[in-house]
Order: sequence, then structure tokens, then C-alpha cells
Amino acid sequence: MSTAVSVELAVQRFLAQECLALDERRFRDWLNMFAEDGRYEVPVRVTREKDAEWDLSPKSKIFDDTKKTLEIRVRRLETDFAWAEQPPSRTRHHLSNILLDEGDEAGTYLVRSNCLIYRSRGDQPAYDLVSAQRRDLIRENGDGFLFVHRWAAIDQSTVGSRNLSFFI
Amino acid sequence: MKLLENMGDAIKQGRVPARIFNDSEVWELEKTKLFGKVWSFLGHESEIPQPGDYVTRYIADNSIILARDEHGEIKANLNMCRHRGNQICKAEMGNSSHFRCSYHGWVYKNSGELVGVPYLKEGYDGLLDRSKWGLVSVRVDSYEGLIFGTLDPKAPTLEEYLGGFQFYLDIYLKPGPNGVEVYGPPDRWAAETDWKICAENFSGDGYHTPVAHQFGFQLGYFPSSGSTHSLGWAVHIPDKGHAIGLGHTPGLPPFMGYPDALVEHMKNTLSQGQQDIFAKTRTAVGTVFPNLSFLIQPFSPIPGEPGVRFCTMRLWHPTGAGQMEMYSWCLVPRDADPEYKERAYQAYTLAFGQAGTFEQDDFENWTNLTRQAGSSLARDLEFPYQMGMDLTPITDWPGPGIAVDRYVTENNFRNQWATWLNYVGAEG
Repeated sequence: MSTAVSVELAVQRFLAQECLALDERRFRDWLNMFAEDGRYEVPVRVTREKDAEWDLSPKSKIFDDTKKTLEIRVRRLETDFAWAEQPPSRTRHHLSNILLDEGDEAGTYLVRSNCLIYRSRGDQPAYDLVSAQRRDLIRENGDGFLFVHRWAAIDQSTVGSRNLSFFI
Repeated sequence: MKLLENMGDAIKQGRVPARIFNDSEVWELEKTKLFGKVWSFLGHESEIPQPGDYVTRYIADNSIILARDEHGEIKANLNMCRHRGNQICKAEMGNSSHFRCSYHGWVYKNSGELVGVPYLKEGYDGLLDRSKWGLVSVRVDSYEGLIFGTLDPKAPTLEEYLGGFQFYLDIYLKPGPNGVEVYGPPDRWAAETDWKICAENFSGDGYHTPVAHQFGFQLGYFPSSGSTHSLGWAVHIPDKGHAIGLGHTPGLPPFMGYPDALVEHMKNTLSQGQQDIFAKTRTAVGTVFPNLSFLIQPFSPIPGEPGVRFCTMRLWHPTGAGQMEMYSWCLVPRDADPEYKERAYQAYTLAFGQAGTFEQDDFENWTNLTRQAGSSLARDLEFPYQMGMDLTPITDWPGPGIAVDRYVTENNFRNQWATWLNYVGAEG
């Protein structure tokens, strides 16, 4: 069953608004895009042989957050002592290959996308590039949507960034 | 190397050259004189529980396969085919009875013996002696599940190398009768940071916490305050380089954060002397020289709510001057229930995984420090390491090593860099 074009456009707009909130460092706005029962997960990737059972660890995670712990992360960024983001990083979230499917429950959608994050820090010309595969479960909420589950898997098994003080 | 000539006297006077934290000559010396001699951490037994299980790790720039062979013995071998040097195992972990080189097809048992050579008859006329061309084996030994390897056949035993530091390692390794296990595979990431500043920090840098992690005080994370933060102990093993900082907050419940059942167990697994110290310890941050560190800390992911006690183990793997890769594990008590393990792991990810709120600030500081230490003017500068020089060691301390009655001090670091100098500055 195909999803209505109008829903696809609305979801694309929702995802673009999320990117904008993150890149403009409007972290409270970003947090408000999550449902109260929202989850945020980034698994640890391991380089394995082709026929291995998994290469995304079923246990280890880089992020393993609830909305409550995401709020802690945002509160930290609001203090004057989040040195990892002082001065702030410049991030740019680039989304592509957005594919929308209806979720199991009415009014929910599974959205798959690719996310390429550019991060620049300080006056150093070197930058971080983090490429990730996203699988989001979103739920209709009034005129818009809420994230129920952000799942993003980074492509590197050894991540090429000194820290992840930004969101995937 | 001229830099090292005066370093011994400088350390005695409480100074360390800035340049050791980012210098290509120093790194060249470290590769052979330090990492060629010490016992390096390779993995935890719980990472390779079954015959055939393996992980690949490094000692300096040497890739090592750490495997449990078909007899259940733990073996470490250089990850290099003896024929032309190709990397024989390209995965970080897995299970295999044999490794086959993808270049000319030599096949080795996971214990390292060469068992298969294509065209042995037709090419080598049957004259190649397979028993002489097994994988290069690395000597291994273990303590309480921690597996170490050394490239030096003449190195002392691991027991001698640890030199009594086992007493303190037990705070991380013996929470209950069956010890600890890794929760899952480690986080790995790369940083333009010198491994030594990380190893130093985790030898008990209580000094940085109120500033580098000030947000934690702001958000109400710490049971200690700025005024009590310097309380605790710093202990090191002389000439071995191992050290630990034990932070103490008066009035906290003993073993705060552990489930009651585990605290009961610890009466059997820990000696009386260990119990006396560990029960009073809020934070234990320690380093097995040179580059394996641990941190245990009671932590409530949501400040004010009931917490857990999480434990992280981390390997600061050097990849060049001022460059490293990080391995960060979470250790959980084997005997804890799955729900507690999961909560402890979530606390770890929020605080000290790659995206951990505390971890983030450390690597920001360490990366910038490393860059500065590599600058031309810094080459001739020294840093002060005089904190606590006049402290008198505690005479009735129940554990091995030299202990002083202060958490915010640099006694441990002076011993750490004096030990480092003994290796890196050694003749020959």
C-alpha cells in the first residue's frame, strides 16, 4: 500500500525541521519533537565476517537514551560548562534516501533515511564526517509528528571523531 | 635523546617536560622500549568465552589475535601470515577454528600452528617445515579475567609486573563471587590525543573534576561538593607505575550504588583490608601502567533518582605521536540481575561512552592539550608536578604501595612518569 504523497511531504518536512533545530542549536525545540515515551539509540558497530550473526551489537550502544536522559543532555548544553561544545561545533545534518512506510499501529510510520553529518570545531580546518543509517518510528500528533524511536547506526566501527557531543 | 637526560631530576623536583605529550621521537622510543617490554592489555576472558572465540587487538602497532583455542586455552598470536605478512584476520571478533590467509592460502589453527600450505608438494617439493612457520606467538597471562600479553620473552611474570596493584584492581573485578563480565563489545573511536594524558588522568586526577566536569555539579550529579572533593586517597606502586585515586565523601552509604546482595557477597570475596578501604570509596579511578584504566562511580542518570554503580574499563591505544584509538568497555558484576546490568550500562553510556557527557569534555581538553604540547615553543617547556610533594605516606595503610591521605594530588603521576622514563630512557 502506498502512503499518500501529502504524508510523505509532511514527514520530509518534519525531518528537515529536526535537522534545522539541531544545526541551529535549538535543542529544546528538538527535544519537543520526541514523544514522552521516546527512545534514542545508536548501537555499537563491530567489523565482522560476512556471515556473522550481527555487526551491530545487540547489547552495546553509543547512545541509549530516554526522553528524560536526552533532557539531561540538553540541560548540560545549556550550562556554561559543556566544554566539548564551547565554542559550539558547527554541524550540518544532510538527509537523503528518505523512505516512508506505515507502522504497525495506526498513525505511526517507519521512516528510513541516510544521514551525513558534517561537524566543524574551532578554527581547525579539519572536520568530522559521520555517516549513519537512520530508522525512525514516528507517530502522528495533531497536525505534526513526534519521534517515538530514533535508531541510527554509524557506518564506522571505529568512529573518527574525538567525541560525540552532537546528536545523530 | 636529550629531552630524557634531565627528566629524572626534573621529576624529583616536581616537573615533567611538556613535549612528552606530543613528539614523534618519543613515540618511536615508546613503540619498542615501552610497548616492547610491558604487559599490555589484550582483552577480558568474557569476550572469548567459547572455544574458537577470538578478538583482534593491538600492542602498539602490532595487530594481535587473541583466541580461545579448541582446548579452551587462551592464545595470542601476531595477526600476520608468516609467508608474506598479510593480515590473516580482518574481523574485530568472531569464532573460528582456523584462519586462512587470503593471499596464498596458508592455514593456521586458532592456536597459531601452521597446518595448511597449498602446493606443499608441487611447489615446495614437500621441503617446507610447517612446524617452523607458525604464527608469531605472544606470551599471555591473566589476572581475574584480564588477559595481558607481552612482546618481551624475558619480561617478569604478570604477577610480579602488577606488583601488588591486584589489591586495588579487585574493587573493579570482584563485586561478587564470580567477578565481572563485559556488558558487550567496546566503543571504539579515534582522537588526536596522546595516550599518556589519558592514562595520567585516570591515575587519579581528582583535580580536574570540579572544573572539567563542572556541569555535573551544576546538574546535581555529584554526592561530593567542591569543599569535600579533595578528600580521599592516592596510592601508587613504586617503580611499577600503577596508581589509583580513591575519592571519599563522608556520610555516603558503604559501597553506594551496588545492590545489597552484592555488598553482602563482597564480605567473602574481598579481604578485610580491601573492605575497609573500598566501602569508603566513592570514586575509584586507576591505571595499570602503561595504558589500561578503570573508573567506578555511583551514578544516577537522572540526578536525585536512585542510582547504580557503573564501571568502565578503557584502553588508550596509541597509534602515533599525539594520536590514539580508544577502546571503552562497561564491566558489570556477573552475579547482578539482568535489569541491574542494563541500568549500569545505561549509566555508563550517558556518562562515559563515546557520547558520554563526562567523556565529551575530557577528550575536548585532551585533544587541545595534545596540539599545544606539539608546538615549537612547548618543546622546551616543563609542567609543574609538585602537588603533594611534602605529603607523608600513611603508615598504617592496609594495602600495598604508597598511599597519601588526599584525593587531589600528583604523587601518582610523578611515579608514573618516573616509571615511563625507566623504560623509554633505558640504554640499548
